[in-house]
Amino acid sequence: MFSRRTRIILSLLVVASLSFVILDLRGGDGPFSSARSAVSSIIGGIQSGAALIFSPFTGAGEWWSTQVDQSGQIRELTVENERLNSALVSSQNDIARADQLDELLRVASVGRYLVTPAEVIAVGPSQDFAWTVSIDAGSLDGVEEDMTVINGDGLVGRVLKVYNSTSTVVLIVDPVSSVGGRVAGSQEIGIVSGTGRQNSLEFQLLDPLGEVNPGDAVVTFGSKDGRPYAPGLPIGEVVDVTGSAGQLARIATVRPYANMSQLSVVGVVVKPPREDPRDSVLPNAPLVTPTPAPAGTSVPSPANEKETAATPAPDGS
Amino acid sequence: MIIRQGLFIGTCVFFAVLIELTLLSRLGIPGATPDLVVVTVVAIAFAMGPVQGATSGFAAGILLDLSPSSDTIVGVNAIIYLIIGFVAGFWIDPRDRTLPIMIGITALSTSAAALGTAIVDTALGGDRVNWAEVPWITLSSALYGVLFSALVIPLIARLSRPFLPDLSPSQGNLP
Repeated sequence: MFSRRTRIILSLLVVASLSFVILDLRGGDGPFSSARSAVSSIIGGIQSGAALIFSPFTGAGEWWSTQVDQSGQIRELTVENERLNSALVSSQNDIARADQLDELLRVASVGRYLVTPAEVIAVGPSQDFAWTVSIDAGSLDGVEEDMTVINGDGLVGRVLKVYNSTSTVVLIVDPVSSVGGRVAGSQEIGIVSGTGRQNSLEFQLLDPLGEVNPGDAVVTFGSKDGRPYAPGLPIGEVVDVTGSAGQLARIATVRPYANMSQLSVVGVVVKPPREDPRDSVLPNAPLVTPTPAPAGTSVPSPANEKETAATPAPDGS
Repeated sequence: MIIRQGLFIGTCVFFAVLIELTLLSRLGIPGATPDLVVVTVVAIAFAMGPVQGATSGFAAGILLDLSPSSDTIVGVNAIIYLIIGFVAGFWIDPRDRTLPIMIGITALSTSAAALGTAIVDTALGGDRVNWAEVPWITLSSALYGVLFSALVIPLIARLSRPFLPDLSPSQGNLP
């Protein structure tokens, strides 16, 4: 049916990919960690270059529809216009990026998180059913595995794998992601897990009798040493609660604050705050004026008054 | 000839993966990400043949799996794309290639890629696949496949011409 050469090539390729699957499924630091880091250092560099060019199009789902009706323009004007436009787009893009950095700095300074800014350079296709992105900061920038990733709106995800100059970030909406969450204001804790949809998370209270209502904000509970999740970061807002108090299957739907399909500037939390900032980082919380604290002194924060009400609980993750 | 074909396939696949991961997946389009990689693999299979299609599918899958933006099992995309590349190249008869049929096969291929990833992922014990989303992802993937194939198939067909052995009818009509 097929020529001999066809059969040989095909069977070689099939055997190769099957053995890749088997080798990778074994897990651990298989032969792929070195292959991955080699490929990622090459691809990562090119991707960050390409991301620089393509970043004006981020989230522009309808961008192509406006491109169609520009054909009948006078040539000189078009050339001139295009040059001005590209300058405008890039400056707008710079302004937008500066705004996002400001937002990020606001979150970071209120909670006194130490962040390393990074830019999202590539996004995994949604056919993989995984919500993973790569950012242009890696081990050379001090990023390590299991560090928290935030943006100006709130929690984004955590670092999954680190290479020299890029790292893989798994977003909180990824189906395998679960974050320890706490209802702001009350002390109800639970687990926020991803659903695979970009604008909904599932929040399951540990206490079935706990109080949770639409409109409540959910912040991270924090893990041991702030890894993988630093405490006090805004996750999202409760939009819906199914089941009544006392039922075992009591699940709240949470809409994340960060827009997962339009990520651009993010920050990797290199060092979590010394103390849990509680609810002070939430978007509409009464802003605590971040007193420029000299390093090494402890700063009084409104969180201290609530400290007495805190329930001793095991570290969530 | 083989080396030049390999270079051509490598370049096409590399740019397809690059554009898909840095531009298309960030547009925030509803449903699946437009699967430029599968469309390119299928276009190569149409233009050059089943073996070239399978090779480019393998290369594209490995590159996509190893890219730092994805957290998939290495080899899953490779085997799916390899089968798609081979079947697409084998299915089409080089003598009656019409664009509508090729676009139809491309749409089938992109949806098969999305569905195949979901099935293989679930079979390998991954717990990422949300089956309620699969029909919509598959359908939108086919739709984007149609849109992109009308552009990519003629482009690849033209670009690949210098790399193909001369199959012009004059060769068959030797005196």
